[in-house]
Amino acid sequence: MQQTDKQETDKKQHQWTGRNLGTRFGHNIFYALIHLGGKRLGYFALHWVVLYYVLCRPSVRRRSYPYLHHRFPKQRLLTRYVTCYRMFLEMGRVLVDRAILGIMGADKMKFTIHGRQELLELVEKNHGFILLMSHVGCWQVAVSALNFLKVPVNLLLEQEEDNIDRHYVNYADATSLIQIIDPGSYLGGTLLMLDVLKKGEVVCMMGDRVFGSEKSCLLVDFLGENVPFPFSAFKIASATGAPIVVFFSYKTGYDSYTLKVAKIIHVPRNLGRSGESFRPYVTQFVDELELYTREYPYQFFNFYNMWQ
Amino acid sequence: MTLNEQLKTIIIEELNLEDVTVEEIEDDAPLFGEGLELDSLDAVELVVQVQKHFGVEIKDIEEGRMAFESINALRHFIEERMTP
Repeated sequence: MQQTDKQETDKKQHQWTGRNLGTRFGHNIFYALIHLGGKRLGYFALHWVVLYYVLCRPSVRRRSYPYLHHRFPKQRLLTRYVTCYRMFLEMGRVLVDRAILGIMGADKMKFTIHGRQELLELVEKNHGFILLMSHVGCWQVAVSALNFLKVPVNLLLEQEEDNIDRHYVNYADATSLIQIIDPGSYLGGTLLMLDVLKKGEVVCMMGDRVFGSEKSCLLVDFLGENVPFPFSAFKIASATGAPIVVFFSYKTGYDSYTLKVAKIIHVPRNLGRSGESFRPYVTQFVDELELYTREYPYQFFNFYNMWQ
Repeated sequence: MTLNEQLKTIIIEELNLEDVTVEEIEDDAPLFGEGLELDSLDAVELVVQVQKHFGVEIKDIEEGRMAFESINALRHFIEERMTP
């Protein structure tokens, strides 16, 4: 039910959304700094801003604790401050990078893509595919690097005015093949997703964030405790026959990112309505996500209690 | 069994609607948003079921909007496309 979906989404938004990452004003200051002094000035200012948030804004600092507690369960308080600082700093760098991407273009970044050939082969088959990403690394960088596919990439993204994820899209290159599907549109955009997949296009969505009703979620073990993960992508994959490509990005250097096809999941056709049918496939995604947090613990950016 | 009844049965059985009978589903009531409390993922399932049972494809968002207005609208949509 769309109304119910909306209410559930609103409830979730009280917990965490892109708009919790500072005000639009704050982001605009960073955009201005980057315009004036480039990336180095942005990164320099970042250290002080992060230090302020870690030391003086306990409510913000505490948002990182649920994840840090699960990822580093034996950590003491002082070490927790340090890991929190490292995580916020990584987050800030990613925000600066994506502003750079929007303002100066993708050629300011170096990408290494692992699985490029697999992606091209999927495009060649013309059945479309679902790029299942997560709030790790910089998904905007990952999406911006997909122009080589030469097919539209339809990004499921909320269209609210104060959602900072939208800033990037607003700044994005006009030649970009990125199109937006609004989950707040008719039937959560699902019919549109079916439509573009049929045309052989790419649908890109986040596998770690609940859009709409929590009915569409399964509880799956993540870092030792159950977390609700949506099975919507898997349901759409089953309905259309489109494969799911688990795709992550990693910041690997000052101006370099690695983008990786972590796994390609083929969901059998017509698995039905029950969420349980999708458990083995959702679990595969979650296992990949957990592996990511083992390798790049400071690039996991879900600042709310997923385990609640 | 009329096509309307067939559609209602498919919705109840394939979408696992509990405590709903064929008689309780009104022909003109909206399928989504109120009444049956179907959600966006049910729409995906309904697209699949309509194709499976009637061989009729709901091709895009405009067709979906038209077909999913009510049981009567869905019947009309299917009949139009099944007619040779």
